[in-house]
Formats: sequence, C-alpha cells, structure tokens
Amino acid sequence: MAGAALARGVSAHRVPKPLVLYAVAFLGCAAAAVSLGLALANDQLSQPALRAFFLDWVTLPYIAGGLVAWRCRPDTGFGPLLVAAGFVNFLGTFEWVTSDPWFTIGVVFDLLPPVVFLHVFLAFPGGRPERRFAGVVVAAAYVTAIGLQLARMMLGGAGHNLLELTTQPAAAQALLMIQLVGTSAVCLAGIGVLAARRRRAGRPLRRTRALLVDSFALGLVMIAVLLLAEAFGAPGVEPIRWAAFAVIGIAPVAFLVALLQARLARSAVGDLFIELRADPGPAELRNCLARALGDPSLELAYWLPQCGSWADLEGRPAELPAAGGRRTATLIEQDGAPMAALVHDRSLAQEPGLLDAVTAAARMALDNGRLHAELRARLEELAGSRARILKAAQQERQRLERDLHDGAQQRLIALSLELGRLAERLGGDPGARARLDQARGEIGRSLQELREVAHGIHPAVVSNHGLAVALESLAARAAVPVRLTVGFEGRLPEQLEVAAYYVIAESLANIGKHARATSATVDVWRANGDLVAEIADDGAGGADTERGTGLRGLADRVEALGGRLRVWSPAGQGTRVRAEIPCG
Amino acid sequence: MRVAIAEDSVLLREGLARLLGDAGLEVVASCGRAEELVRTVQSTPPDVAIVDIRLPPTHRDEGLRAALEIRAHHPAVGVLVLSQYVELGLAMKLLADSAEGVGYLLKDRIGDVQEFLTAVQRVARGGSAIDPMIVSTLLSRRRSDDLLAGLTPREAEVLELMAAGLSNQGIADKLTITVRAVEKYVSTIFDKLGLPSARSESRRVRAVLLFLRS
Repeated sequence: MAGAALARGVSAHRVPKPLVLYAVAFLGCAAAAVSLGLALANDQLSQPALRAFFLDWVTLPYIAGGLVAWRCRPDTGFGPLLVAAGFVNFLGTFEWVTSDPWFTIGVVFDLLPPVVFLHVFLAFPGGRPERRFAGVVVAAAYVTAIGLQLARMMLGGAGHNLLELTTQPAAAQALLMIQLVGTSAVCLAGIGVLAARRRRAGRPLRRTRALLVDSFALGLVMIAVLLLAEAFGAPGVEPIRWAAFAVIGIAPVAFLVALLQARLARSAVGDLFIELRADPGPAELRNCLARALGDPSLELAYWLPQCGSWADLEGRPAELPAAGGRRTATLIEQDGAPMAALVHDRSLAQEPGLLDAVTAAARMALDNGRLHAELRARLEELAGSRARILKAAQQERQRLERDLHDGAQQRLIALSLELGRLAERLGGDPGARARLDQARGEIGRSLQELREVAHGIHPAVVSNHGLAVALESLAARAAVPVRLTVGFEGRLPEQLEVAAYYVIAESLANIGKHARATSATVDVWRANGDLVAEIADDGAGGADTERGTGLRGLADRVEALGGRLRVWSPAGQGTRVRAEIPCG
Repeated sequence: MRVAIAEDSVLLREGLARLLGDAGLEVVASCGRAEELVRTVQSTPPDVAIVDIRLPPTHRDEGLRAALEIRAHHPAVGVLVLSQYVELGLAMKLLADSAEGVGYLLKDRIGDVQEFLTAVQRVARGGSAIDPMIVSTLLSRRRSDDLLAGLTPREAEVLELMAAGLSNQGIADKLTITVRAVEKYVSTIFDKLGLPSARSESRRVRAVLLFLRS
C-alpha cells in the first residue's frame, strides 16, 4: 500500500510515451546537425564552427535536460518548456540562411532565446512562474522580443526580410535600443525574482538546488550584459556573447544534478522502508525520518484526540510552529482527522514529492508512534493524579493530627494540670486525693492513646524534625537490635521523608512479626539525586512480596513520588527492602 | 527562683503560671511565641525556661530551636522542653553537648505536680530531667550484648532513676533507702556496665543515656 503511494508520488501523471521522447531526441540531434551545416555553408559568417558550437552548446543540453525532466517529472510542464527553449534557440540558426523565407524566420526568433531562458528560469520547478510578478515579467519579455521585433522588421531595421514594408533606419534603430535595453531590464527583474525566492527559502537550500538557482541568476546577468553591450556598441561583444552562451548552457546541467539528488533522496525513502521493517521505537522512528528527509532538525508531533492537543514522542504537550516561521509542519491525516505532524525546516516544503513519499512509507509506524505517545500521556496524567491524591491525603492527615494536638490533647493536659493543683490544695483528705489521682491516671491513659492515634494518622515528628530524628525512636523500639545509619544532613521534601519513614517503620514491623531475625540494619543515604532507604535483616527470608505485609501500599506510596520499591527475600538469606525516591 | 514560660495554648500557659506561682516560684515571663522567650532570656535571664516544643508560626520546631539557642548562648539558664511526644532523637539533640541544666518531659507530667516541680527546680539548679518514657524506651531496647541482664532488679531501678536525672538524694527518697546505699548501687552499676565513674550527677545522666543508646 505504502509502495503504491510512493509510486503515485513519483509518477501518477501522464508519462510521455517513449516513442515521443525518442522522436524529440532525434529532432534535437538533427537540429544540432542542421545548425552546424548551415553555419559552415554560409561563407559570409566569421568563425562559423565556433558559432555553431556555442549554439548547439545551448540547444542540446536544454533538449536533453527537458527530456529527462519530462520523463521524471511529468506532473510539471517544466520538461516540455526546457525542450521548447532548446528548439527556440535552434531557430536563430536560420539567420545564417541566405534565402529570404528562412532568414525571415531566423530574424523573427532572433531575440526570443533570452526571453525563453528567462521563462525557464522563472518557471522552475513547477513549469509556471510561481508569483504574479514573475508572470508579468515573462509576459513583458515576450512582448519585447516578438512584438517589437516584428515592428522593427516592418520598418526594415533587421536586414532584408519578407516583412519589410518601409525603410526607416532611424526609427528601427531606436526600436532596437528599446528592445535591447528593455529585455535586459526584464532580465534584471528576473534576477530580483530569483533572489527573493532564495531568501524566502529559509535554511540554506540543498547545495545543488542553490547552485541551480545561482546558475539561473548568472545566466540572466550574462544575457543582460550581452544585450546592453550590443545596445551601446561596447567593444568585446563577441567574447561576452560566448561567455553568455557558455553559462546558459550550464543551467540544464545544474538542473540534471539537482534531479539526480532528488533521486538519491528517493533512494533514502527506500532505505526508510527497510528501517521501518525493523519496527523502530518512537525515538528511532524520528531518526529514520530525519535521515530520509535529510533534515536533522525534524521533530514529530502526534495528535491526541482525547486531549484535543498535540504531543511530543513522550506524550508531553507540544505546539506546532506558527505559519510564516522558519519551521513548517506537514500534517498527516487519517480518516479526515489529523494523526501526526512532521515539524521540519520550511525549505523542505519545496520537495512535496519527497514529503509525500516519506509520510506514505511511515504512515503505519507513525500510527504506532501516536499510540505510544497517547499511552505515555495517559501514564503521565495517572502518575500526576496519583501524586496529587497522595499529597492531598497527607495534607488532610496532617491537619487531623494538628487538630488533635491543638484541641483534645491540650485540653486533657490542662485538665490534668487543674486536677493536680486541686489535689495539692486538698491536703489531708486521703480518699479524695486517691480519687483525684485515679482520675489523673485515666487522663494519662487517654493522652497515651490519643498520642498513638495521632502518630498513626501522621508522624508529626518526621514533618517537624526530620527523618533522622524520627528514626531514632523507631530503631530503639524495634523488636531486634537495629544498627541505624543516616548518611545525609539537613531536611528533604516532607513527602519524601514521610514516605521513607513509613517504608522503614513497616519493614521493621515486618521483621518483628515474620522474619525470625536476630538483628537488622537500616541505612538511609542520598545517591544520584535519590533518597535511598535500605532495611535488611538476617532472618529466614522467603517473604511473600506480593501478598499482605503492607508492602503493596508502601510501593504505591513510593511509586507515586516517582520512586521504586524493591524487595529481595531469598529463603534462608534474610530480607532486604530498598526504596529509591527521587529528591527533585 | 525565676521562671520564663513559652507555650502557645493560653489555657496551659495560664495553668502552668498558676501552678508555679502556687509553689512560690516567680514567673517572670509568660510568652506565646519562641522569639519572645529568647528576647526575654537575653534581657533578664531567668533560672529556668519552660518551652513547648511546638510553637507558632509553623508549629514545627520553633520551640526546640529556641531551647537550643538558649542553651548555646546562656548556659546558666536551665531549659525544660515540654512536648506531646517524646522522641529519642530529640532528647539526643538536646543532650548533644551536656546534660547540665536541661530537661525534656512529656507534657502529661505537669499533672503530677510534685514530681514536675522537682524536675523544674532540678533543671534550674543545673541538673537534668529526662522523661521516664525515654529512659524506658532505651532500657527496653534489644541489645546484642547482655550487660543489662547482669544487673539485679534493684540496680536496674537505680539505673532508670539515674538516667532520668534524679540526684542520689532523689533516688534514695524514691526508693526509701539511704543515700549511702544509692552511692553503692551507682558504683556497682558503673562497674558492671564498664563505664568510668562520673563525677557530677548530670554528667552521669549523659554517660548512661549514651551507653543505653549505643
């Protein structure tokens, strides 16, 4: 399917029949031979061989280049235009013929070649001038070259020809000046169009493509110089002429090189097919596409319909570049809705065929990439909401603990204090004193219970004084001797310390309940931006890490903070629990 | 004897002030915030400052920090820290340099008026008062050596009271034995635990606590 699309991108338009191409090629060769023959046959011509050589130097490359373009890019009119330019150039040959009709034809087309070259240069690569201004320039050039030429011939200013009506040498000369200066002005305007196009192209064009545009511009410069030199009778017109011909003849060669490079780009598409077969991951897919498109700055964006937004490879929100910037997005659609976008340098937009081929080849892989991005986005969202829920729950527990501390506990203590003062005042009544002491004892037990409840709700000592302080009592109250090592100073984010505290408290409780251990170690340190807490015992091992023991809840707590909890418990070799929680 | 109090609960602060006043102590300042207490101690140092560990504005460790600051800059002022939870780690922070003139008690102890007043006076005179819960946590701690197992029940009782900061006289009164007998027990205990005998009562508090924690 992708292959068919690829083929469509290359040659869905009418491909000329081979016979037509061969016939045109034959005619081209024949034209070259004719011009050579005519030049040699004309005994009034100076340096006939050189003239014929330069004429064919231009004619043949244009016809050949046009044929290649016609075959490879039948979707544009550029190939036939090139061929036409070659033959128009050939028509000038007839000026060398002494017979009137042929000479007349030759003169009519005398000034046409520069204009056709201008047309070719401005029509690249689509076969038509891209902008309205360029179209106007080309039209003006044709009027100057054909219309004014016919007028001048009627005035008898172009040698003896069949169209001559009268002989007005002065008027004809003035007209010739207008023609030459006008045409060179039009050529200069053409150079402006090319320069503007180059500036619009953004990132430096592919080198060959830049070379091509430059060779067009140089050709126009040479034409303009030649015409002006002729108009003002400057010395050394002949060398300028030959130089102009030489440069103009090179333009189709540059075009052929650019075409070849585009072919190489297509072969990169072939490589892409092979790479895609290996089912590359999301990042590798980007690299493959960047290679195939020859744009290392390529980025991919995926459309997530549920979120109604664009996302990058990892599902993070992304934005497409605004129109008119240095970067452009090529949208890839699926069932009429956007699926993915290639964000690339805007110069790539001038190679729509390549973009089409690459996107067609990578469509399925891009669809997979989109699913991956969607999954990542959801995971991210899930992790975020888990962390938020945990944080909210912790804040709520903290608030409850505070309320208990500031409310019930304080009041009970104040009550106990008042009872104590009362007992002091009672003095000698032992019965009343005993009952007051009993009441105080009750209050003391209530306070003890409240203290345990409050600590169960939230370990305030961790929040208020830090993990290191809180671990002292935990280690001292453990069921086995514990060697505690805290390898960092200062405080860490509260959530982290609380999570580590719970992991250690639960692990020590498990050791007391299940491990049949004789000793344990608790180590807490910081490594690579993580807080690491490791609890190890020398007990029986073989702890069931999946069921019960509260480990799952601890893992949830640790994972919600982006960390991970691991348990090693080989039978007979003790149990080791390790939590790694990122600090940032 | 001059006392300064820092406690944010008005109910407790006033109760404490009355309790101390009843016992004939002079309450020179009664503050709701830690910095207020520190200022008072700077201008007119009392014999003892009683500090709630949780004070505004954050109710985290303002009280503890004030206590440590007073201990660092005014060693002559006794500091008694009150808290609704007793934590070994906090006790060790308070006792980091010495046990002289320092106390750390659960707030609940206020209700036991006589014991509380004794503790306040002890701290004011440069002695120590360590909450029995801290001591019992340390004593109940599982140890890999069994040095504590070598003590007789009476010796263990004396050790516990000694660790809480009681003087020999205090221990003698508590156990209704003579001061001589207490001195004998103390020296036997130090021998059995392999500790060098400490000269002052507050030094031995720290020595015993550090031994129990090790």
